Amino acid sequence: MRLHTGRMHDFLLETTIASSVYFFTVVITFLIVIPVQNILFPEYPSRASLLFLPHGVRVLSAWLMGWRAIPALLPGVIAAFVYVAGWDAFLPSRLVAIVVAVSVAPFTFLALKAVGYNLFPSVGRSPCWICILAVGAITSILISALTNLAFGTSTVEFVAYLIGDVSGLFFGLLALIYLFRFLDRVR
Amino acid sequence: MYKISKLAELRKLVHGMERSLGLQELSPVERDLYYAASELSEDFRQVRTVGLIEHSLLTDVSRPTFFRALRSLVSKGYLSQCSSANRGCYVVNQPKS
Repeated sequence: MRLHTGRMHDFLLETTIASSVYFFTVVITFLIVIPVQNILFPEYPSRASLLFLPHGVRVLSAWLMGWRAIPALLPGVIAAFVYVAGWDAFLPSRLVAIVVAVSVAPFTFLALKAVGYNLFPSVGRSPCWICILAVGAITSILISALTNLAFGTSTVEFVAYLIGDVSGLFFGLLALIYLFRFLDRVR
Repeated sequence: MYKISKLAELRKLVHGMERSLGLQELSPVERDLYYAASELSEDFRQVRTVGLIEHSLLTDVSRPTFFRALRSLVSKGYLSQCSSANRGCYVVNQPKS
């Protein structure tokens, strides 16, 4: 009984952290990154962000949690869709996009594990950040392709999603380096 | 079955990235100690603590600071202890860039 309570506590903690960080990065993207991008590149034809930090959150959550990243990210992804699209977030096409957003990264890691490339954290093995970045690019392509089926986006948007997702993951990792350094100094 | 801390794994991941990109931070004493070790290292890139303490770059450094910096360089992978159980002997590693 206590074991189940402990697992439930862990799951709720994971969900709170993953969903909050996802939602926070979406808010940063829409309140800061996209307005700055519009000032710097007024001619840029796409509305997609060239620095999409939430992609880093979903890839790292999937790497750390495996399939549990799906329920852990779901509340954050739903909240983000409601924040951006209002109640239209519950239209069938957007519900498909929500499912795609939370599930593609964990399934990519699990599929890679099934074919012999186990990138999940393991005791005594150094994580391969380049591999995580590569998975980030693969999942970005898959998410863009599947979202394209739901929304019908153009090629320009497709390329913009890819750039935004990969740069979001890379700069998200870079931000973590400096966040950990800051926390070490504070301690 | 080990319970893996997610925060520790995340730190390991960014630590690898930090080293690959050459962003790893060294304090002035750590940097001087690493330069001194690189200069003193011999054929097998080995260096001894005794020689390091006496190096001109490190003469003004107190013993506790010196040993703290030495431990830090080992934990960051810039130095590693010699494979022979020879205390006070370190191998100088090239930082990945």
